[in-house]
Amino acid sequence: MLMAVPLLALFFTANPALQQTPQNSFDKIVKDAEVARTADRVPDAIELYSEGVRLRPSWSEGWWSLGSLLYDQDRFPEAQAAFKRFAAIATNPGPAYAFLGLCEYETREYDQALKHFQAWGSKGSPGNDALIDVAGFHWALLLTREGRFPEALYLLAGKAQKLGRSPALVEAMGLASLRMTNLPEDYPQERRDLVWLAGQAAFYSAVHEHDREEEYANKLLIHYSWEPNVHYFRGTLLGFQKERAEAAKEYQQELQLSPQHVPAMVELALVQIDDFNAAEATPLAERAVALDSRNSRAQFALGRALLETDRFQESADHLEIAKRLAPDSAPIRFGLAKAYRALGRTKEAERESAAFLSLKAKDEVLAPTQQKNGNREQAGPPK
Amino acid sequence: MINASIAALGLSLAVSAAQTAVVPQGKASTRAETGSAASSKSSFEQLSRSADKARAENRDDEAVRLYEQALNLRPGWKEGLWYLSTILYEKEKYANARDRLRCFVSQDPSAGPGWALLGMSEFQTREYSRSLDHLQHAMALGMGGRKEMAQSVFYFVAVLLTRFEQYSESTNMMIAMIKSGQQPDLLVEPLGLAALRMPLLPTEIPGDRRELIRMAGQGALALEAQRQEEAQRLFSGMVAAYPNEPGVHFLYGAFLLDVRPEDGVAEMKRELQVSPFHVPARLRLAEEYVKEERLDEALPLVQEAVKIEPGYAAAHMMMGEVLVAKGDTAGGIRELETAEKNAPQMVRTHWDLLRAYTAAGRSYDATREKEEIEKLNRPGAAQ
Repeated sequence: MLMAVPLLALFFTANPALQQTPQNSFDKIVKDAEVARTADRVPDAIELYSEGVRLRPSWSEGWWSLGSLLYDQDRFPEAQAAFKRFAAIATNPGPAYAFLGLCEYETREYDQALKHFQAWGSKGSPGNDALIDVAGFHWALLLTREGRFPEALYLLAGKAQKLGRSPALVEAMGLASLRMTNLPEDYPQERRDLVWLAGQAAFYSAVHEHDREEEYANKLLIHYSWEPNVHYFRGTLLGFQKERAEAAKEYQQELQLSPQHVPAMVELALVQIDDFNAAEATPLAERAVALDSRNSRAQFALGRALLETDRFQESADHLEIAKRLAPDSAPIRFGLAKAYRALGRTKEAERESAAFLSLKAKDEVLAPTQQKNGNREQAGPPK
Repeated sequence: MINASIAALGLSLAVSAAQTAVVPQGKASTRAETGSAASSKSSFEQLSRSADKARAENRDDEAVRLYEQALNLRPGWKEGLWYLSTILYEKEKYANARDRLRCFVSQDPSAGPGWALLGMSEFQTREYSRSLDHLQHAMALGMGGRKEMAQSVFYFVAVLLTRFEQYSESTNMMIAMIKSGQQPDLLVEPLGLAALRMPLLPTEIPGDRRELIRMAGQGALALEAQRQEEAQRLFSGMVAAYPNEPGVHFLYGAFLLDVRPEDGVAEMKRELQVSPFHVPARLRLAEEYVKEERLDEALPLVQEAVKIEPGYAAAHMMMGEVLVAKGDTAGGIRELETAEKNAPQMVRTHWDLLRAYTAAGRSYDATREKEEIEKLNRPGAAQ
C-alpha cells in the first residue's frame, strides 16, 4: 500500500436522525462505541458499532465508523460491507466510494473497484490528502490493468510530483510505461528488474530530472532492448523532451520488434507530421486506425495527416471520431477547428476553437498532453 | 527462498494459554442469550471439539471445514482462527490464511506469532509492503522463543528491506543473522542484491545477472568472515567480468578503501562514471578525503550527494562532518541536525553532534547527545 489512511480524520456529517433516537440501549452503545474507539480498544469498538448498526440499520455514522475500523485492521471484506451500507444511506457518500474501491481492490473485485473509483472521481474525489493519494494510486493501478495506460500515467505522474519517489510508485509507473496490464501483485517475477528500470525512468521524467531519467532509460535498453514496448517507451521519453528524430528512431525499432504496435505507429506518424512529412505519415496512421479504430490518438493522427495533405472532409471525419472517443482532448479540438475552417464551416470552427481554448486553459500539465489522449469513454481521473 | 513449513516453525504450539483462554465477549455480553443462542453455543462447542480432533488426527480438510463452521457461529474465536490459519498456510492457501490471521491479530494485537504468520502469508500473496510492516511488528513483539520462526521472519524482513531499497538496514540484519548462527549459504543472493543495491527479491533476479549477484554476495560473506584474500579474489573477478554494471566498482572500492585507499578511490571514481548519481560512492569518497584532509575535494562531493538525495540522512551527516572539519561548526551542526532528524537511530550522527556541540560550547546539547548515544547503545535498542 502506498500509505495508511487516517480514516477517522475525514470529514463526516452526522446523521440528524441519530439525535432523535429514544432507545436508551442504542444511545448507550453509541456512547460506549465512541469511548472504545477513542481509547483504541479496537475489538470492543468493532463489536459495539456492529451491535449499534444491528439495532439501528439507518445509523450511517455507525456504518462509517465500523467500516473505518475494519479497514484499518485490513479486514477488507467486512469493511466493504459496512461502507456499502453507509453509501446506500448517507447524504454525502463521496469518500465512501473511494473506500469501497480500496476494499474491493483488496478483495480482488477489480471491475467493481474501478467503478467505485470512477464514481468517487465524478464526485470530485472528496476526502483528505491521504485518501486522495491512496485512492488515486490504486485507481491508477486499475487503469493500468484495464490497458488505459495514458490515464494511469497521468495520475501517477501527479503523485510523483506531489509525493516524491517511493518504491510502490516506481513499480506502478514501470508497469504502465511498459503497457503491462498487470497489478504489482501479479506480474511475472522475472520481469521485476525490467519494470523497476522503466519505473525509475518514468518517475524521473515526471519530475523533470532528465539526466537521471536518461541513466535508467539507458540501462533499460542495455538489458532489455529486445523486450516489447521498451523502444516505444524510450521514444515517448524522448518525445517529451522534443527530441523528435531520436524518438522516431525508437518507434521504428519498436515496429521492427512488434509490427502491430499501434501506439508506436501513431507516435511515429505524429512525428512525421510535425516534420512536414504528412504524406509518409498517412499510410502509417491509416494502418493504426485499421488495427484499432477505437484508439482516439490513432484517429487524431490520421485526421491530422489528412488535414496536412488537404483531404479536409476525410480529416474532419476522423477528427470527429477522435473527439467522440476523447472529448477532453484539446489538440483534437484544435485540429477539428482547422479542418472545419478549411471546409468553410466557420461556425463549427469557432465552436471547436472555443472548446480548444477552454480545455487548454483547464489543462493541468502533470503529464504531456499527448499522454492524456487515451480512450476516455468513462469519467476521467480527478484534476 | 525460505518457505518454512508449520512444523518447522513450531506453530502448532504457538497459541499461548493466555491467548486461548479468553474469547472476546462482544455480542455475547451485549445481548440476552436466547434459546436459539443457547443451541448455537452447544453446536459451537461440538464443532470446535470436532475441529480440534480432526486437526490432531491430521484430517486437515475436515478440520478446515469444521473450524470454518465453528467460526461462522463465533467469528471472534481466537483459537479457531489461529489453528485454521496455520492449516491454511501449510496447505499453501495463503490468501485464506491471511484473511483469517487479520481477524486473529485484530482480536489479539499482542500475538507476535500471529503477526509473523500474517506477514509470511502476505509475502506469499506478494503484498510486500504490508508483509514488511507486519513482520517488523512481529519482531518488535517477539515470537516467544520460537527460533525457527524468528529465523524465517528475519530472512523475509531482510529480503524485503532490500526490495524497498533499504540496503544498509538489510545488510546489517543479514550480518546479525550470520553472527547468530544462520546458515550463510542461504544469504549469498540476498547479500549480493543488497551489496549491489538492486531492489529485487532473490526470486526476481534476472538470469543474466545471477552470477554477478552471487559473486557480490560471496565476496560480502568473505569480507564479513575476514577472509580478505578470498574477498579480494571475488571482488576483483567480479569487476573484471562485469565492469559496466552499476554497484560493482562501489563494492570493490569500499573493500579497497580499507586495505589500499588509493585503489579504493580509483574504484569509487569508476563507479561514478558508470552510475553518475550514486550517492554512497560520493559519500565514501568524501569520507576518505576527510581522512586524508583533502577537504576541498570532499565538499563538492557531499554537496552533490545532498542535492541528489535531499532526504538521505547519511548525506547530511557527511556534509556536517566536512563542514565541521573545514571550521564551519555552525553550518556543520545544521547539517548534522538534519541528519539526526531524518535518521535518529544513527549513532555516528550523535557522536558528530556531541563533538560539534562541545566545540561550540553548547554543553547542554552535548550532554543530551551523550545520553542519546548511551540509549542507542543499550542492548536491544534499535540500530
